[in-house]
Amino acid sequence: MINLAAPTDKKSGDVQGPQQTKVDISGLNFFYGKNQALHSVTLPIPANAVTAIIGPSGCGKSTLLRTINRIYELYPDQRAEGEISIDGQNILGKVDLANLRRRVGMVFQKPTPFASSIRANVGFALSYYEKLAKWQLDERIEDALKQAALWDEVKDKLDQSALSLSGGQQQRLCIARTIAVKPDVVLFDEPTSALDPISTARIEELIDELRGRYTIVIVTHNMQQAARVSDKTAFFHLGELIEFDDTLHIFTNPSAPKTQDYITGRYG
Amino acid sequence: MNWVLFRRQLADRIAFLGAALATLFGLVFLFWILWTTFSNGVEALGPKLFTQMTPPPGADGGLLNALFGSAVMILVAIVVGTPIGLCAGTFLAEHGRNTRLAAAVRFVNDILLSAPSIVLGLFIYELIVVPMGHFSGFAGGLALALILIPVVVRTSDESLRLIPDRMREAAFALGLPRWKVSLQVLFNAAMSGIITGVLLGVARISGETAPLLFTALNNQFWSSDLNAPLANLPVVIFQYAMSPYKEWQSLAWAGALVLTVFVLALNLTVRLFARRRSFK
Repeated sequence: MINLAAPTDKKSGDVQGPQQTKVDISGLNFFYGKNQALHSVTLPIPANAVTAIIGPSGCGKSTLLRTINRIYELYPDQRAEGEISIDGQNILGKVDLANLRRRVGMVFQKPTPFASSIRANVGFALSYYEKLAKWQLDERIEDALKQAALWDEVKDKLDQSALSLSGGQQQRLCIARTIAVKPDVVLFDEPTSALDPISTARIEELIDELRGRYTIVIVTHNMQQAARVSDKTAFFHLGELIEFDDTLHIFTNPSAPKTQDYITGRYG
Repeated sequence: MNWVLFRRQLADRIAFLGAALATLFGLVFLFWILWTTFSNGVEALGPKLFTQMTPPPGADGGLLNALFGSAVMILVAIVVGTPIGLCAGTFLAEHGRNTRLAAAVRFVNDILLSAPSIVLGLFIYELIVVPMGHFSGFAGGLALALILIPVVVRTSDESLRLIPDRMREAAFALGLPRWKVSLQVLFNAAMSGIITGVLLGVARISGETAPLLFTALNNQFWSSDLNAPLANLPVVIFQYAMSPYKEWQSLAWAGALVLTVFVLALNLTVRLFARRRSFK
């Protein structure tokens, strides 16, 4: 059995109760050319909580994440059908993509700092969206870096290249960059799979601190991580949603036999 | 001794010797050329070279007007050619990418890249020199720009395509429009590659003689007028080297040396830039 002690020490009390749905996915199908990667997925993602998406490789968990900010559209042969509503608006319809992506931030598997200074990395999108005076911009940059728990490490070298940071720092910089524009939803696509254990722990702490302020969706292939950080867990298999429930429930008493098999490590 | 082993070792030695001799053969000529240029050019080298105008036959002088003219025309080529080449390269790498149009443009650009420079010179001659009725430094700069553009297109296209897609995804995921992503994220990441391309292009055009013969021609006197014939190093070298006058010949050698050193220095700079060009 995997470690089931982790989720029990979490205050599961404050994630229960009535929860608003922030991102309401219904009947979502996704295609890579002719290959269908998601089969009529229906998943109501609760507001201001952490939702983990787990499942074996190729089950469509990253694909699902990439539909929520429509980043898949960079590639012409990918398309999505169905409905994803955020605050009641179907974002698969006609929407302002820039505005959608400002509201739905994304942190990727590998850290992707831009080839410029730390300050520019964080301030870049910010200064595009909002007309800010220099001191306001600096304040917002500081604020974002503090939220991302990076401020103390970089406050004396804001004008140095972001590429000089370590991998874990770079990933926290990417998180700072994402939350600097004040999104409602933050998507994490396996954010720690390229990091060492210590950096991973820091990112997990960070996600825990961001809980409640943002609607967080995290894709992970690490089940312990899902158990540690999430309130809700969705289990995917071969492009279908098998089970979606409270994390504690999924990891202690899953309803579907497939989920049981996966979390006990029988496959995947 | 084992016969098979002996045969293999013998083949290895022969192959090694052949490769070494071929390398040596190439290097000998390179250093021969460099040495000849150096030993002949160093005589006329001196402060006069950079302070006096090209002299009439039998008199003393330097190459100041030719050096200046060349610099001006190269500058015109950079100013005209870099934005066009960069825009075309951005189209190929970012906007067109896998379209048929981009494939066609890439193919045509490769043809242009190896087009004989004399043809490009004639083209500008017909296009600009004939309607204007006279040779001009401006026409020379444009002819050089035509040689520079395909180099910049090629290198900027390639260095942009070297940027991993996750960089683009990260930038687009912040909700930024395409022009902003290209301008501030991708150009930044590809900067050393783009600069390398421009420098390589400059190295290429700085020695071009044929296109200037039809466009800028030459000028024995100081002139900074882009609308008039302009002196330039390659044509002066060509003219002076073919002349029967001793002073002119030695000035031609000095000019050749200056040109060689310039191109060599550019290539070294390119190496420095290229070293910074890496992605994790």
